[in-house]
Amino acid sequence: MVCGLLEPDCGVVTIAGRRAEQELAVRNLVGYVPQDVALYPDLTARENLSFLGSLYQLRSKELAARVAEVLELTDLTERANDRVDSFSGGMKRCLNIGAGLLHHPKLLVLDEPTVGVDPQSRHAILERVQAFGREGMAVLYTTHYMEEAERVCDRVGIVDHGRLIAESTRKELVERLEERDRIELGASGDLERLARACREIPGVENAATTDTSVQVVASDSRRMLPLLLEAAENAGVTVNTVDVVEPDLEAVFLHLTGTALRD
Amino acid sequence: MRVLLIARASIRRVMRDRTALFFLLVLPVLVIIIVGATVRGFSTFRVGVVNADQGPAGREIVAALSRAPGIAVTTYTTVHQLTTGVALGELNTGVYVPKGLDAAQRSGAPVHVDVYAEQANSNQQAAATAVASVILERGSIVQAATFATAHGSGTYEANLLRAAQLQRQVPRVGFKVVQAQSKASVLPQGYSYSAPTELVLFVFLSALTAGAAIIETRRLSMYERMRAAPVRARTIIAGETMTYVAIALLQSVTIVLVGAVLFGVSWGNPLAAAALILIWSVVGAGAGMLAGTLFRTPEQASSVGPTVGLAFAMLGGCMWPLAIVSSTMRTVGHLVPQAWAVDAWTSLLARHGTILTISPQLGMLCAFAALFLVLATSRLRRLIS
Repeated sequence: MVCGLLEPDCGVVTIAGRRAEQELAVRNLVGYVPQDVALYPDLTARENLSFLGSLYQLRSKELAARVAEVLELTDLTERANDRVDSFSGGMKRCLNIGAGLLHHPKLLVLDEPTVGVDPQSRHAILERVQAFGREGMAVLYTTHYMEEAERVCDRVGIVDHGRLIAESTRKELVERLEERDRIELGASGDLERLARACREIPGVENAATTDTSVQVVASDSRRMLPLLLEAAENAGVTVNTVDVVEPDLEAVFLHLTGTALRD
Repeated sequence: MRVLLIARASIRRVMRDRTALFFLLVLPVLVIIIVGATVRGFSTFRVGVVNADQGPAGREIVAALSRAPGIAVTTYTTVHQLTTGVALGELNTGVYVPKGLDAAQRSGAPVHVDVYAEQANSNQQAAATAVASVILERGSIVQAATFATAHGSGTYEANLLRAAQLQRQVPRVGFKVVQAQSKASVLPQGYSYSAPTELVLFVFLSALTAGAAIIETRRLSMYERMRAAPVRARTIIAGETMTYVAIALLQSVTIVLVGAVLFGVSWGNPLAAAALILIWSVVGAGAGMLAGTLFRTPEQASSVGPTVGLAFAMLGGCMWPLAIVSSTMRTVGHLVPQAWAVDAWTSLLARHGTILTISPQLGMLCAFAALFLVLATSRLRRLIS
C-alpha cells in the first residue's frame, strides 16, 4: 500500500505529508526493495540500474552519476558491466537494495531483504540499513527475524494474520511483558504435547514450539523451571538445554500472538 | 517516454538471448530454404538417360537434353535403373537411346527413342513432353540431313551440320507456357510459396513462445518494481505491447529481406505488403502477450506455444494450400487468423492484389488483433495491479 502496489481497504497513506493514492509523483519519495531479487538477470548491473533509474525520470547525466554512486555503495563498480546472472546471491541482494536507492528516496521499503543470504552478506546489509537510518532516511523494514528488528528498528510493528497488533519502540514493547521471561527448552520428542502441558501450569502465559524447542513466556522463571522440567518428564520429552532469556522482541511476539517464530 | 524505456529494456534482453535469436531469425530462414526447395514445382525436371547407342546421334541427343533449359540430366547404365528411378519418383522421366540409333539414322530407317513416364503422374507427363520436344527438334535436323543426302549432294555428316546451322538461322514458330494466375487460389511455387507462409507461421509461433518473457518478468517481480516507480500500469502494458510488435516486425522484415534478396521473392504491392506485415505483427504481439498471461510458467509457454502455433498454421494454410482441403476444413481454417493472412498473401503474390483487394482480409486481421490485445491487456493489467 505504501508503494502503491495494493489498494487500501480503508484509511490513507501519507508520505511526507502527501497522500500516496492521490499522486503518482509521491512514488518518487519511496524506494521499494522487493523480497525477490527483482532485476533482469540477462542485463548487466549498470543496465539494470540505468533502466530502473530512468523510470524515476532521472536524466542522462544525473542518472549516470546515481548509477555510479549505487555501484560504489554496493561494492559492484568492478562488476558493473557483468550480467546479473553471473553474480553471487549476496551481490544480487546488494544490487537489489541499491536499485531502490537510485532516486534518493525519503522512505525505503525493504521486504525481508536478508532471506536466503549468507551471514556475511546479511551483516553487510544490516550495516547499510543502519547507516541509511543514521543519514536520515526512513526505513520500513519487514522481517521474520526478531534479532534483525532488535538491531535496526527504532519502532517495531507486529503484524499477525494481516493485522497490526502492536506498534511501538522496542523498549515500550518489552515493557509490556512486565516481569515475564522467555524460557527456551531445547528438547526432543513430542514438543507439541510438552507445549500443551506447559500452558496448563499456573503462571505460564504462553507456550509454543519451534523445530527444536518449546518457547515459554512466564513470570517468575526461577519458580517455574522445576515445574516445566517435571511437565517435560511427564510428557516423555527429553530436555537437552534450558535458557532463561531476558525479555526481548521474540518474547513480545510470543506473548502477543501465542506462536513462536520459526527459523 | 517510459513506454520506450520499458520496450528498450525488453528488446535488449531478447537481443542477448542467442536461443531466442536463433528461433526468431535463423530458423525461419532455414525453413524457408527447405520448404522453398521442396515445393519448387516443375522448374527443373530430373531426367535419367541410358545411352545404349554411343554413336554421334546418341551423344547429340544427350547433349541436346543437357543444353535444354529446365532439364537436369543424369546418366544410367541400365533400363532397369531408369524405370526404377521413374517408378520411385526420383526421376521425372527416363530416356532410353537405343543401340544402333546412329546407323539407323544414316540408313534412313525409322528409329524410336523411348521416354518413360507414368500416365497418372502429371509431373512425369509434363517432363516427358518437355523431353519429347527436345528429341523431336533433334529429329527434325536428322530428317533434313537424311533428305538432303538422299536427294542432293554432300555427305550425311556435312548435311547434318548444315541442317543444324540452318535451324538456328531460320525463324521458328515458338510458344511459351504462361501460367494463368488471374484467379489462382494458391501461392506461386518455390520460395514465393515458402517465404510468405513461413512469415505467417513464425511471427505467430515466435510471439506465442515469447510469452515466456512476460511470465519471467512477473516471476522476477519486475512489474512490482516498475509499479512502485511513478509508472502507471497502462504504461507498462504499452511498453510490453511495443516490445512484441517490434520483435514481430524485426522478424517479418528479416524474412522479407532474405526472401527478396536471396531467393528473389516478389512481395507484391509494397503498400499492401507493408500494411499486411504491420497488422500481422500486431496480431502476433496480441497472441504472444495473451500467452504470457495465460501460461503459468515459461516452460509451459515454450512447449505449448509452438504446439498451438503449428496447429493454427496447419489449419490456416501455412503448411498446405487451403484450396486443396475440404470446404468444411476451409471454413474451420478461417477461424484462425493465419488463414486470412495467407489469403491476403495469395491475393498479393498470385493475383497482383492491392491494399483495396486485400482490405477484407486486413479487416479480419485487425479484428483478431483487437481481440487478442483486449484480452491480453485486461489480463495483464489484472496480473500486475
